[in-house]
Amino acid sequence: MAPFKEIKEKPVKIDKWDTGALKNALDDGAKKVLIDIHGYKESHRLMDGRLFICTIAIGFALFALVWDYLYPFPLSRNVLMTCALSYFFLMGILTLYLSYIEKGIFLVALEQDRAMMEPDNEWKLSSSLRKYDDTYHLTMIFVDGKTKEERSATVSRRVDNFFDENGVFCFDLYKPVIDRLKQDLSNEKKKD
Amino acid sequence: MGAFDFLDDVRRMNKRQLYYQVLNFGMIVSSALMIWKGLMVLTGSESPIVVVLSGSMEPAFHRGDLLLLTNYREEPIRVGEIVVFKIEGRDIPIVHRVLKVHEREDGYVKFLTKGDNNSVDDRGLYAKGQLWLEKKDVVGRAKAFLPYAGIVTILMNDYPKFKYAILGFLGIFVLTHRE
Repeated sequence: MAPFKEIKEKPVKIDKWDTGALKNALDDGAKKVLIDIHGYKESHRLMDGRLFICTIAIGFALFALVWDYLYPFPLSRNVLMTCALSYFFLMGILTLYLSYIEKGIFLVALEQDRAMMEPDNEWKLSSSLRKYDDTYHLTMIFVDGKTKEERSATVSRRVDNFFDENGVFCFDLYKPVIDRLKQDLSNEKKKD
Repeated sequence: MGAFDFLDDVRRMNKRQLYYQVLNFGMIVSSALMIWKGLMVLTGSESPIVVVLSGSMEPAFHRGDLLLLTNYREEPIRVGEIVVFKIEGRDIPIVHRVLKVHEREDGYVKFLTKGDNNSVDDRGLYAKGQLWLEKKDVVGRAKAFLPYAGIVTILMNDYPKFKYAILGFLGIFVLTHRE
């Protein structure tokens, strides 16, 4: 029933002058190719890590708020100090996590071995689109499950290739670009 | 459709993205809260930054000036200092200058205050029957000020609807726009 679902979906229409919306639409499109069409499994590990750090940080803030309400200020001094320090420490960790671990990767897709004998291959996608720039850079990283070998390829395209006058996202024009990139990485694999 | 197109962004998000959106909003609020609580710990004052709401300290402070307060236990209160204090039965603390101080050897202190721009001392402002302020009434002592930096607070205080409109708008903006 998969083809029918696609037709029913409302086409993605965005404000084409909004850089963030453009990037999100293209990222979502690339995700759709790998997950919905190729049927890879999405791994939420990276995002879950970020959510975990944020949740703990907000937990500290809420705790400080409640504690200060129950035991007004001079009494709550030590608890407030601990919470404030922990909160800013976690914000530092979050920044490090975003810049050194997540590195703008918005999708980790697992390509499962059909026979379930070998570990999954990983496809990681990261992208960048600078403000006032119309070139979208998409990097695909392939990690071989068995050999742990890593290969990456980048494609740069002007965003107006994939959106019409009104800001409707043309998925059918975008899909070949992703497939091509993926094919290039796979072919390299076969050459070796 | 049409009027609610701005919600499409939200509709396209998955559960994790929605949760992150809420967390993002929470982090903006928490950062402000933790900076405030951190300042409380650093300055020892329960309200380290206050805005002058009345003209009773002119020409030293005007309406809308921002004051930075500290309240270290070991620092003695001296005549001429500007203190911020609370009065029972009043919601808003008052910023006035210390006029007279009495100290006992055991550390007990009582003092009287007056606004520079007022013609009489503050006994009329104190709670009924109260003649002196004590250490427990002090919120902090003015250590620095930024002229007119708190004018937005005055506007928000005078027009509460303006405040709710701004807060509501910002909240909706953060929650509906992805990153």
